[in-house]
Amino acid sequence: MNKPVSHIAAADLAQSQARWEQEFAAGAGNPEPLHNRSGVPIKPLYTPGDWSGAAYADSLGFPGEFPYTRGIYATMYRGRSWSQRQLIGLGVPEDYNTRVKEMLALGASALSLIPCNSVFRGYDADEVPAELLGTCGTVINHVGDMERALDGVPIGDLSTAMNDPSPFTLLAFELAVAKRRGVPWPRITGTSNQSDCISHFVANHMFFRIALQGARRIVVDHIAFLNEHVPAWNPLSIVGQHMQQAGATPAEAMAFTLCSAIQYAEDCIAAGMDPDRFLPRFTFFFDISVSFFEEVAKFRAGRRVWAKLCRERFGAKDPRSWRFKFHGQTSGVDLTRQQPLNNIARVTTQAMAGIFGGLQSLHTDSYDEVFSTPTTEAARIAVATQNILREESHLTDVIDPLGGSYYVESLTDQMQQKIEAIIDMIDAAGGMYKAVEQGLVQKMIGDSALAFQKRVDAGQETVVGVNKYAVEEDPADYPSLEYPDRARMDAQIDKLKAFKASRSAADVDKALTALAASAQSRNENVFAQVVASAEAGATHGEICGTLRRELGFGQPLTIV
Amino acid sequence: MNAAATPLEAILAGDRRAVARAITALENDSPAASGVRATVGAHVGRAHVIGVTGPPGGGKSTLVSALIRQLRARGHTVAVVAVDPSSPFTGGAVLGDRIRMGEHQADEGVFIRSLASRGHLGGLARAAGDVVDVFDAAGFDTIIVETVGAGQSEVEVTRIADTRLVVCPPGLGDDIQAIKAGVLEIADAFVVSKADLPDAQRTENELLSMLTLRRGQAVTPPVLRTVATTGEGLVELVDWLGRRTPRGTRRGATEDQAARDLVARAIGADGYAKHLGLELVAAQRGSTTVRMRVGAQHVNFNNRCHGGAIFSLADMALGLAGNSHGNIAALIDGNISISKAVELGEWLVAHATEVSRSRKVAVYRVDVSRASDRAHVACLSGTVYLLDKPVTFKT
Amino acid sequence: MPHERPPKVIVTKIGFDGHDRGSRVIAACLRDAGMEVIYTPPWQEIPTVVKLAMEEDADVIGISSLATDHLIVPKLMEALRAAGLADIQVIVGGIVPAKDEKTLLAAGVARVFHPGAALDDIVTAVRALAQARHAQQGAAA
Repeated sequence: MNKPVSHIAAADLAQSQARWEQEFAAGAGNPEPLHNRSGVPIKPLYTPGDWSGAAYADSLGFPGEFPYTRGIYATMYRGRSWSQRQLIGLGVPEDYNTRVKEMLALGASALSLIPCNSVFRGYDADEVPAELLGTCGTVINHVGDMERALDGVPIGDLSTAMNDPSPFTLLAFELAVAKRRGVPWPRITGTSNQSDCISHFVANHMFFRIALQGARRIVVDHIAFLNEHVPAWNPLSIVGQHMQQAGATPAEAMAFTLCSAIQYAEDCIAAGMDPDRFLPRFTFFFDISVSFFEEVAKFRAGRRVWAKLCRERFGAKDPRSWRFKFHGQTSGVDLTRQQPLNNIARVTTQAMAGIFGGLQSLHTDSYDEVFSTPTTEAARIAVATQNILREESHLTDVIDPLGGSYYVESLTDQMQQKIEAIIDMIDAAGGMYKAVEQGLVQKMIGDSALAFQKRVDAGQETVVGVNKYAVEEDPADYPSLEYPDRARMDAQIDKLKAFKASRSAADVDKALTALAASAQSRNENVFAQVVASAEAGATHGEICGTLRRELGFGQPLTIV
Repeated sequence: MNAAATPLEAILAGDRRAVARAITALENDSPAASGVRATVGAHVGRAHVIGVTGPPGGGKSTLVSALIRQLRARGHTVAVVAVDPSSPFTGGAVLGDRIRMGEHQADEGVFIRSLASRGHLGGLARAAGDVVDVFDAAGFDTIIVETVGAGQSEVEVTRIADTRLVVCPPGLGDDIQAIKAGVLEIADAFVVSKADLPDAQRTENELLSMLTLRRGQAVTPPVLRTVATTGEGLVELVDWLGRRTPRGTRRGATEDQAARDLVARAIGADGYAKHLGLELVAAQRGSTTVRMRVGAQHVNFNNRCHGGAIFSLADMALGLAGNSHGNIAALIDGNISISKAVELGEWLVAHATEVSRSRKVAVYRVDVSRASDRAHVACLSGTVYLLDKPVTFKT
Repeated sequence: MPHERPPKVIVTKIGFDGHDRGSRVIAACLRDAGMEVIYTPPWQEIPTVVKLAMEEDADVIGISSLATDHLIVPKLMEALRAAGLADIQVIVGGIVPAKDEKTLLAAGVARVFHPGAALDDIVTAVRALAQARHAQQGAAA
């Protein structure tokens, strides 16, 4: 145990502090009190009076041990760097395949797939207006498309994150491809990214296809299926990013995410699953804003709160179940259209905050994401940013380097208090599902978003190049990706038609009937039928359409 | 649509754009308003106007949506007036009610119009009545007026309806007593929504028992149950609505309706009633029911309800009944006998009935009972002197 | 004193995008500025938006667009014209590349707002468009 500051030294400290406060007031006057985005008051100076090492053993501990404040692994980045997982998604499967191979050659160690918005909404390419196809993600409608997207990619050796909300058809297509190639499912690793249906109900509704309670059930079925058949896959990625991007403060975003996680964990326990089986595969996905220290503190606090929840609330016994594993993405909402190259500096700051926050995998935005899907050059800079931080700035040489900072520790504690207060509020409302069905969460997020925008408009929050340091710019000078070639899209739709013509209509029909029946039943595993349908050649639109009919069309509740 | 038709003819032909613009004209009292009123006024009376109100969160919009589905399945055209509250500070409003009826947004046989409660010339009820008239003249079979029911103006709005539904979610518990008394007494039927929830039976029982205290009503309003998400109870509800004969009741007030309106206004203008927390439960010509919850201000030094408070409650019912015919009636003699001590927190219900009435004098009997067990608490008999002057209110 | 008619504004999203932070903030601001706002969920179909605008006799339709949803706004303009609702003003807010902005304005969109636009400017613009429409209706009556 650390020696407390001695009695005589304490008196000196108090005197010195008073002296400093006088000098500060003389120099800086009485400035307006500052707050971070979560509303925590920020002082100009932090000292042992705010946090002293006496608390080390209880509240910090060592990396890899409860409560994991300093990191979930003993080795952290000294053992293994965070994964550089850059989002990729554009055009047709062949375009995706080309970009994937470029990224792998540049050193990206894990893959990600973003499908086209039409896919997010649950439709096939021939069911939607042609203008909206393939501009933000890849069009993948069936196992054949997935084959072409992953052509020559060693799926048994790489981790793939599928941006693939309930009912997880993209994963089903990948599993079907694995089966065709003879890659056993236990070798398939990755994450069902953004599988958190609650976050889609509340914010970024694009992913929300099936009515909330139906989506809830499929999430649990999917976890159960993967636990048994694809044990190296993380079925759940609980998302704080959407809510923070929708305007939730960092503390709110962390708290709401943990509340959603509590519901999923409790649903799994109610379904008879052992916490020590499913918790190690719960992962999280967060936004990282430019509010540097606040983000670091948010992640450290989140790690601590989650560890306590797992051990005490869910009763998990295995230390591996208590680990808060998360992917961070630099926040697109902080980026500006004005002077876009400034975004490179912003992304660097955000990435550093995530790294000091102890993330397990990181996506850095390209500077031109404000215009459209990134150009090759901009995507390259985003990856290089991570490489520079790791290998030139040596940010990985020391584990939790900001630990012990009077400010960071004090801020971590205060962020934790805010987070826990919100969790208590949601518990009092009956849990996250009830809270979002009543619109309570949506209202809080909307209020925070409005408050922030008003501060920006009033000049109380600076946005460089927008409300300060602005210059005359010609928007026509900005680079942008051309929209996908319509001819390529038409070819893609032709391939879809050919695929449908070539498959066994009887097999598909049988599979979809079984899928509908499983949705109507109370105890069949719906996801198992989604996989079977994918293998039988059913398309994404057909699978989603069937489930929408059975379980209800997803309509989020929006509150102004 | 015949291009040569005038806007007024277009309204009567049901042209959607003309209907919408006519509503705007009336809503904003534009120069075109009087012409619209004249055209429309001669063509109303055909539609069945259903008012739907109830506490927020009660599932009203979901019920209305399910109701529309049933009506459409039976071939009715449906218009909806969705009343949303305006901000008292900014005058702005988010018209969110219609959004909750999402499934009907694309149906050509359904027309939904939002109406914000902002300071309408002539009041919100009149504005809603205008919108209803346009829909009626345009030929819609059923017109639903939906309000939040949280304020007195919303209660006023549902008075324009032929049939008034009050929607109660289960689990209100004690809050049933808290549903505005004015709302309760106007209901033609109660609907327990979300009836698949565990508290539904209890809520139904509480409503039924409260309704039996409303003695003196010609017809006891039914209590129906629905589960809007599955459609359970909707067929029965629409069948019941179909049996109602609404024609003309909206436009010409019946005697009882006039009496009800007068009594409601009277208790609202009564300072003493406010002071004691007296609430109107039911009224018609010559009889009223008033209730009071025994609070700290009503108890004596023995911690029981003060006899004076019981007298005041009974006298309120008596006075309202006496005045319900329209002329001023003043108590000249009253005698109370009290048979039970009443504890803090109990609800007391006073029901006044007319024993006799001549040109100058009327005699009333008021029975006061305890709501929790219907035990008899007191009996007041009183005589009122009738003046030749009508009851008038300071506006 | 004649009662002032508040602007009636629809704030909606057509196409596939589901991000609604911007549109929600705008809706709240318009309400706080005394306007009557209909705020729809995302993924509205064009015929539904036209029907909504007609029934509510809206003054202004505000389209919030991220991604490429603005590419179908010309179809909305066409549908409004076909329904005899060409007097309803349409504004678009969100990520719209410069060359597409020209296309939208040529199709009849009144204004395009980009990220960073001040809320006050948007509120002022909406009010002006609504008042112009009220004046026009008053003149025609």
